[in-house]
Amino acid sequence: MTNWTTMNWTLAIPEIVLSCFAMAILVFGALWKRESFRMCSMMAVGALLVTAMLVVSNSSGIGYRGLFTNDSFSGFIKLLVLVSSALGIIVSLDYAEHENLRRFEFPVLIMLCTVGMMIMASASNLMTLYLGLELQSLAIYVLAAFARDQLRSSEAGLKYFVLGALASGLLLYGISLIYGFSGSMAFDRLATALSDPTKASPGLIVGIVFVIAGLAFKISAVPFHMWTPDVYEGAPTPVTSFMGTAPKVAAMALLVRAMATPFGHLLPQWQQLIVLVSIASMLLGSLAAIGQTNIKRLMAYSSIGHMGYTLIGLAAGTAVGIRGVLIYLVTYVFMNAGTFACIIAMRRRGRMLEKVSDLSGLAKTDPGLAAALMIFMFSMAGIPPFTGFWGKYFIFTAAVQSGLWTLAVIGVLTSVIGAYYYLRIIKVMYFDEAHEAFDPRPGSLTFVGGVSAIFTTVFFLFPAPLVGAAEAAARVLFG
Amino acid sequence: MIAALAFYVFAAILIGSAAMVVSARNPVHSVLFLILAFFNAAALFLLAGAEFLAMILVIVYVGAVAVLFLFVVMMLDVDFAALRGGFQRYLPVGLMVGLVLLIELGLVLSGWKFLPEAASIRFAPGVSNVSNTAQLGRLIYTDYVFLFQSAGLVLLVAMIGAIVLTLRDKGDSRRQVIARQIARDPNHTMVMMNLASHVGTKDLGYLRPTETEPEEAGDMPEQDHHEHAAQDVARGGHH
Amino acid sequence: MLYSVAIFAPLAGSVIAGLLGRAIGERAAQAVTILCMLLAAACGVTAFVQLVYGDAEPGVVSLGTWIEAGSFHVDWALRYDTLAAVMVAMVTSVATLIHIYSVGYMGHEPRNTTWRFFSYLSLFTFAMLMLVTADNLVQLFFGWEGVGLASYLLIGYWYDRPSACAAAIKAFVVNRIGDLGFALGIALIYVTFGSVEFPVIFGSVGQHVNDTYHLLGAEYRSLEVIGILLFIGAMGKSAQIGLHVWLPDAMEGPTPVSALIHAATMVTAGVFMMARMSPIVEQAPDALAFVTFIGATTAFFAATVGCVQNDIKRVIAYSTCSQLGYMFVAAGVGAYQASVFHLLTHAFFKALLFLGAGSVIHAMSDEQDMRRMGGLWKMIPLTYAMFWIGSLSLGGVFPFAGYFSKDAIIEAAWASHTLIGHYGFWCTIIAAFLTAFYSWRLIIMTFHGKPRADHRTMEHVHESPAAMTVPLILLAVGAVFAGWWFRDQLVGEDWREFWGDSIVVAANNHVLTDMEHVPGWVSALPSVVGLAGIALAYLFYMFMPALPVRLAATFGGVYRFLLNKWYFDELYNFLFVRPAFALARGLWHVGDSRIIDGIPNGVAAMTADGSAQIVKIQTGSIATYAFAMLIGLVLLVGIFLLFR
Repeated sequence: MTNWTTMNWTLAIPEIVLSCFAMAILVFGALWKRESFRMCSMMAVGALLVTAMLVVSNSSGIGYRGLFTNDSFSGFIKLLVLVSSALGIIVSLDYAEHENLRRFEFPVLIMLCTVGMMIMASASNLMTLYLGLELQSLAIYVLAAFARDQLRSSEAGLKYFVLGALASGLLLYGISLIYGFSGSMAFDRLATALSDPTKASPGLIVGIVFVIAGLAFKISAVPFHMWTPDVYEGAPTPVTSFMGTAPKVAAMALLVRAMATPFGHLLPQWQQLIVLVSIASMLLGSLAAIGQTNIKRLMAYSSIGHMGYTLIGLAAGTAVGIRGVLIYLVTYVFMNAGTFACIIAMRRRGRMLEKVSDLSGLAKTDPGLAAALMIFMFSMAGIPPFTGFWGKYFIFTAAVQSGLWTLAVIGVLTSVIGAYYYLRIIKVMYFDEAHEAFDPRPGSLTFVGGVSAIFTTVFFLFPAPLVGAAEAAARVLFG
Repeated sequence: MIAALAFYVFAAILIGSAAMVVSARNPVHSVLFLILAFFNAAALFLLAGAEFLAMILVIVYVGAVAVLFLFVVMMLDVDFAALRGGFQRYLPVGLMVGLVLLIELGLVLSGWKFLPEAASIRFAPGVSNVSNTAQLGRLIYTDYVFLFQSAGLVLLVAMIGAIVLTLRDKGDSRRQVIARQIARDPNHTMVMMNLASHVGTKDLGYLRPTETEPEEAGDMPEQDHHEHAAQDVARGGHH
Repeated sequence: MLYSVAIFAPLAGSVIAGLLGRAIGERAAQAVTILCMLLAAACGVTAFVQLVYGDAEPGVVSLGTWIEAGSFHVDWALRYDTLAAVMVAMVTSVATLIHIYSVGYMGHEPRNTTWRFFSYLSLFTFAMLMLVTADNLVQLFFGWEGVGLASYLLIGYWYDRPSACAAAIKAFVVNRIGDLGFALGIALIYVTFGSVEFPVIFGSVGQHVNDTYHLLGAEYRSLEVIGILLFIGAMGKSAQIGLHVWLPDAMEGPTPVSALIHAATMVTAGVFMMARMSPIVEQAPDALAFVTFIGATTAFFAATVGCVQNDIKRVIAYSTCSQLGYMFVAAGVGAYQASVFHLLTHAFFKALLFLGAGSVIHAMSDEQDMRRMGGLWKMIPLTYAMFWIGSLSLGGVFPFAGYFSKDAIIEAAWASHTLIGHYGFWCTIIAAFLTAFYSWRLIIMTFHGKPRADHRTMEHVHESPAAMTVPLILLAVGAVFAGWWFRDQLVGEDWREFWGDSIVVAANNHVLTDMEHVPGWVSALPSVVGLAGIALAYLFYMFMPALPVRLAATFGGVYRFLLNKWYFDELYNFLFVRPAFALARGLWHVGDSRIIDGIPNGVAAMTADGSAQIVKIQTGSIATYAFAMLIGLVLLVGIFLLFR
């Protein structure tokens, strides 16, 4: 009845292979009598790399009766997601040893979460979108509560779960409205049906608003951001690091694709909402972070702000804007992964530290760590020549080209406010009295921090390949 | 005519019982109303000709989910009064938000109209002479196989999550080792002895496994090796 | 391939020494940087020989795309033509010698700190190589700024000395003024030609000859404006009059740095740039006249100042300034080949002089004042001999290298047959006389006469270690033979064949041919005035030491004018620095404390309040969060319904 060749099922080979790897590692971990966390983690990183190679070599096209699309946009996002998942596993290695979280399920959950994110990147149907999102979210709920004996961690997991369920509810309701008013859930059919924006009924647009709300929750954009600081603070730090990178990328990619492909013709309708959400996120991200003393909470607000900047590119609604979004995401992933590697290295006499004041005088006790953290903070503050500046540069350029002057101006103003708290960390590290030195830092953290710092610093020398790839990916959505 | 009547009856009961789920004072009553609501929803599915969905709803939601709820409500010591306090505190805000949302949705839905193309792009209804169980099966395993498998992965994650977050390997927990159970030799676990008639046995009380073999302790229905155990005491695990 | 190695080996050395220096120790860091430099020098010289004497074809080594933004396209690429290859060969070999020399010179530094110095030296070399091999203006600018940065680091190497820090900042700031001109020039080139790639620009110069540029109501030819803006950049880097003030102060750095900056690299960047941009500036006669004027004036001005300085390194620094003036005179009259020729020979003899001065300073326990030297020639005979060779070359005495290149410039100035060319001719003739005079004044004051230093210093005087003398000898070989070897190829009959397309001269530019046919007295004059200068120096400082003192007393005004370097520093202090400070203080008191601080402090207070308010709703209660989400949703839907 069904001809398998017409399904183009090979398009999903990376996802299939990765889930098979995940299940194999799960079985291995369950059967292996001895300590298997480290080995499973290594295998998971290997599996992610294999998958990345498959993603690179996979072809483009539409498969599974239009449910699944491979194009250069999805390829770009998948590679970024795979890299950040691998970084997430690597930073967890030594943390798990110290905090007694050596459980092989950890890498398995990250891998399944990655499968979910890859499905999100390729979604070309609202149902695929939803399932990918749920697969990703469910794994993250569990990961957030992974340190189940700590009250903070289980509270974080529960909080994220309940609010996430609410967000999923909103998303599903939005999808049902869209389906009800247009009669399809496939992106291409929706695009055809909505090619004349005047015929779009208000019900459908309200459906889109609900979908935006559901996805905005995932990227923690204001006003759906409230979970972020609590969950960031409560979850084990490697999980926070992972949560702050890959899922944000995937959810943003999903939002971009959902807005651009099926609802691209309704740009004027959704643009103003994205603009509002973006402004609110930038303002809140930069204002609320000022008073924070816990560095993980601070990073939570910082990520809210960064998502606000990214949304500017989406609001621009052009290929240039999407290119900016993609470049910003890449720079954001590396800055964030690097910063969290530095945070995980904050350990004194075996105890984790999370206060900004614990960093004081770090430049004297551990100049390497201080220099790396300084690079990330400068980059987040958007100071050239670090990547953060280029990300903002491409975004603001796109906004100005699309005539969104207000957004660009507010973006610049909030970056100035935001620079205050980033620079404060540098000041604490370099000019305050030194404390006792941190414990020796494991090689895995040096690796992640070093790779990220090098990328952040030397990106400006060879931006062309990345910019070119982002450009090609963006052209898929806005020809 | 009868179908319409049935629809309104079921729908009314559905809404009524849903309202009772949130407003009933006794949590057990809430769950029972939930079960009633599920039944009525199943009836509505039946009216729409979706007999497979109706059965699934009854089996899964009534048979498993709602009963699980009932267990939870009865076994866990949840302070419902405190929950209710929160409910009342947030009620005004909640009502207001709900009301505004309702008005907004009302405004939107008042303009309900189908796209002219809607009919053409809607999927063609199924073949008439095939039961909808078969139709669903065909769709799920062909056109939607990708989604089906993804949903499977979601369930896998849920399962891993439940295990990761709750399973505690304390060392003295009792786990069934089937191989050992099968390999058991009755000679090692049963003592046959003759008892004088009309004497009776002493009150053996509640038998507990011996603590001499902690490795074995949790493995199988534990046998009593004591000399006064007169019969096969095949009841382990009651702890 | 060889060529890429020559460029990137110094970078590798710098990175290894800089990042791992503390871990691997200074010996290893020195070894790594020197090995990398030796490799670079070998590859650089080979690449040069292959191109000029072998059968290698000029071309471009592409390394990848750098910036791709619409029509704005910039590649990382290494240009491989005669001009670049000559510079690469010269820079790598001189820099290698300076690296080796530094091992000996920095021997007195505290243990295990000099890895930083070697890392900076290599970084500097790399930046310079990027500059000379650039295939587009942006990469040229990258190298240009990299050189500026590295020089800032090197001049301020002894960062615990306030004077070193001040000198480093001065060098940085003055260079920024020049860079502003350069950056504007690049921008204008992009506007005019639509590209920053050399092949595109040079290929389309012909189409833009008559383009005009409107500024403040007046209309200028674009190429003239571009030429002048580029030259302003060159003035900053090459310390031409007006923007020269940083150069003497830069002597605060360790002596090898002075040798690297003043001899081989940084200061020659401006001259190199004029030669590289020859296709454009060749079409801008007014800009060229300006170049000649500034160059000639600098040559004369710096030579006069050099005659009365007492610090041994400052004398050589002003001499550099003056020699750079010569090179710009040559560029200004269209003899770019002669300017690069002089650049090349100058690299050898000036590095020799600087390193020799370093050897003297080393011997004298870090004494730099010539008035406290004297009578050294028997104690450090090798250094003495090196100084003679360097000075003979600098003074332009036959057959040393400087004779050929300086004569070529002076003849070219005469052969240009323009008014400004003749101004250049006379200035350079006078400067040649002064050059010889101050060179021998330096030799006599330093090496002859009675020792004027105290006993303890004199007892410590010793010849420098081999690590310092071997580079001196090698440089001396260059200072003797480079002119004789290269003359015919660079500016003689074979110049077209040698330079290929790397330097372009306009069809009506016959300077190089004409300079072969200047009158006999013109070619003889430089040598005559040079010998006269030497004789005068002997008269003043050897035989009648009382005479200069009496002269200084009689012409007190002139002496003080020269001693204070024409009062440039004081003038700038009065014109720019003090008003800037006054303005800054005013802005600080009124603008900053009251307005700027007032508003941001107010805003900051508001921000902090806002921050507190926002954080206040972060209660941790799930219900609150859920309501916040729902209210947000209702608001979004409401906004959509109201304003769509």
